[in-house]
Amino acid sequence: MQTIAFLFYYVTPYVAVLVFVGGIAYRLYRWQQRRPVPVHMSLYPRPRSGPGRLLDTLTDMFTLRGLWKVNRPLWVGALAMHLGLLLLLVGHVRAFTDYYFVWRLLQWGPEQQTEFSHVAGTIAGLLFMLPLLYLLGRRFGGSVKWLSTPEDYFVLVLLLGIAITGNHMRFLLDVDSEQVRSFIQGLMRFQWQPPPWSAGTSFMYHFALVQLLMIYFPFSKLMHTIGTVLSKMVARS
Amino acid sequence: MLERFVETIRERLSRPLQVYQDICVRCGACTDACHFYAESGEPAHMPAYRMMLAKKLMQHGASGGGTILDWYREARGADRRMLAELEKAMWECTGCRRCAVFCPFDLDTGLMVSLGRFSMLQDGLAPEMIAEIGDAEVSKGEVIDVIREFYLEQLHDLEARLQRDFAPGLRIPVEKEGARVLYVPLVGEHAVVPLAKIFHAAGEDWTLSMFTATNHSYFVGDMEKARKAAHWIVAEARRLGVQVLAYPECGHATRTLLHYFDNWFGEEIAGIQRVSVVELVESYLKEGKIRVRPGAFDVPLTYHDPCNLGRNAGLYEEPRALIRATATDFRELTPNRELNWCCGGGGGLIAAPEMKEARMRGGRPKAEQIRRTGAKWVVTACENCKTQLSDLSEHYELGVEIKGVVDLVADALIL
Repeated sequence: MQTIAFLFYYVTPYVAVLVFVGGIAYRLYRWQQRRPVPVHMSLYPRPRSGPGRLLDTLTDMFTLRGLWKVNRPLWVGALAMHLGLLLLLVGHVRAFTDYYFVWRLLQWGPEQQTEFSHVAGTIAGLLFMLPLLYLLGRRFGGSVKWLSTPEDYFVLVLLLGIAITGNHMRFLLDVDSEQVRSFIQGLMRFQWQPPPWSAGTSFMYHFALVQLLMIYFPFSKLMHTIGTVLSKMVARS
Repeated sequence: MLERFVETIRERLSRPLQVYQDICVRCGACTDACHFYAESGEPAHMPAYRMMLAKKLMQHGASGGGTILDWYREARGADRRMLAELEKAMWECTGCRRCAVFCPFDLDTGLMVSLGRFSMLQDGLAPEMIAEIGDAEVSKGEVIDVIREFYLEQLHDLEARLQRDFAPGLRIPVEKEGARVLYVPLVGEHAVVPLAKIFHAAGEDWTLSMFTATNHSYFVGDMEKARKAAHWIVAEARRLGVQVLAYPECGHATRTLLHYFDNWFGEEIAGIQRVSVVELVESYLKEGKIRVRPGAFDVPLTYHDPCNLGRNAGLYEEPRALIRATATDFRELTPNRELNWCCGGGGGLIAAPEMKEARMRGGRPKAEQIRRTGAKWVVTACENCKTQLSDLSEHYELGVEIKGVVDLVADALIL
């Protein structure tokens, strides 16, 4: 166990980052290798100007406007999950550095920072986890069941695993964010620090699952994060 | 089995298609979009399933099958079941792209179906009729001289009849050099008569093409042949020195004209404006070149957005403006515009007799939609839609009459 923990803490993170970045680059290269379709494939209505189309694409991406029109329950689930994820990513910046500037501006001391993190983190954590349960549940019935492949279940279970271990630390443990930051910064500077003991074993599982996600990401449907910009621009070409 | 299919897809998979196959999350939003799936409930009719079939087959080829990775990706070999599903997925599709509107990533199953059809054609797995008509269109310029005299004679008779019944000064010029507008019709006088009347009323300097706009190679995804077939028309337009190339009420041909011609013909077509007659006629009305009797028709009527004019070309308001100018009781279908249900007859299915039953099944959402409006006339602007809607009216006993948008205008003209 000791050895495995050591690997997850100090070795595989580097592998995960390399595979994540390299894998995405490889996928983009593979897309680039394919012949483009040089005809207009627009769906109408569409904005007339180039910048208008980009703006429309981004609006679509961040509001899932299309789903709002055709599938309200899925829109609620998908938007809440992605919004939660976005907030969590913003929050996790605190594991690398901190929003010193913001705290200074608001004149918040460490106590207020922690309190704010707790409230915001709880909301974001639930916003992420509960829709995941819905998205997983709907795959077991109706027409989506026929479409679902093992990958679809795996990705949702993996994300749920990350959400549950993360929420465990947020809801039940009193994690010292300084310890987490010191550990992560240690990894970044190759000056290794002990893992945050206040976060318990949940931290190790959480950390390992995120690495698995990063390694898996480039080779999965999760590439929709990047690919959707392309597909949406094609539909507005 | 399906060797050339796999080979062709591997070779021709385009950048968007690669992206589509890689990023589809199989959320299932598209399943509510497909009229074939709405009726059959068969997985092979789900848009995302159609998209994934080819991918599963390709991935099977990569590893030989039987590995845990194959299980994980649901890779599947070329067996009977795969073939049966591919036939449903690729041919029982009208390419209406309603699913692309439903898709949160705007993935275009129509593009996959187009390549899928072309690839199946390489294995001889295509409704023969569609491909054959397509081939005939490729060589139509070579046979045109054989039918020229007969064609001109027929038009002469038609012209005489319209001069007698409609306006003495009406002309149907054919291949007139220096005309402003070249109008490319469809087979049958129904595509010529209303436009001859409208052009006459507008005082337009127009000429009729020797060719027809339809392009069946496009339906089987054979873009090289589709380009060749369309080139006869482009060459004619160049030869006559026209400024405007106008296509009739025909969905797929209009889509090629508006969205493919730039790439197919580049410089050759650059100076020539390309329009659907619906746009052209609407511009006449807007500019006051023609006048119509307001309220000429008081029958309850509705408008069916053809996929190729609506979703695929953005001509939503032009036909409605023409209908509103002539009719008093216009009722919208629900949903309409980009969310309108496909008629179920597009994608060349009309040309394949063996597809009739599938067409009638796939047209049920449309039939119900029409019934709900209580309309007596269904107006539309696509030949495929018109044929399909007539068949639907008979099959589902809707008792509706099918009209073209230009028919309405032509019958309401004030000279």
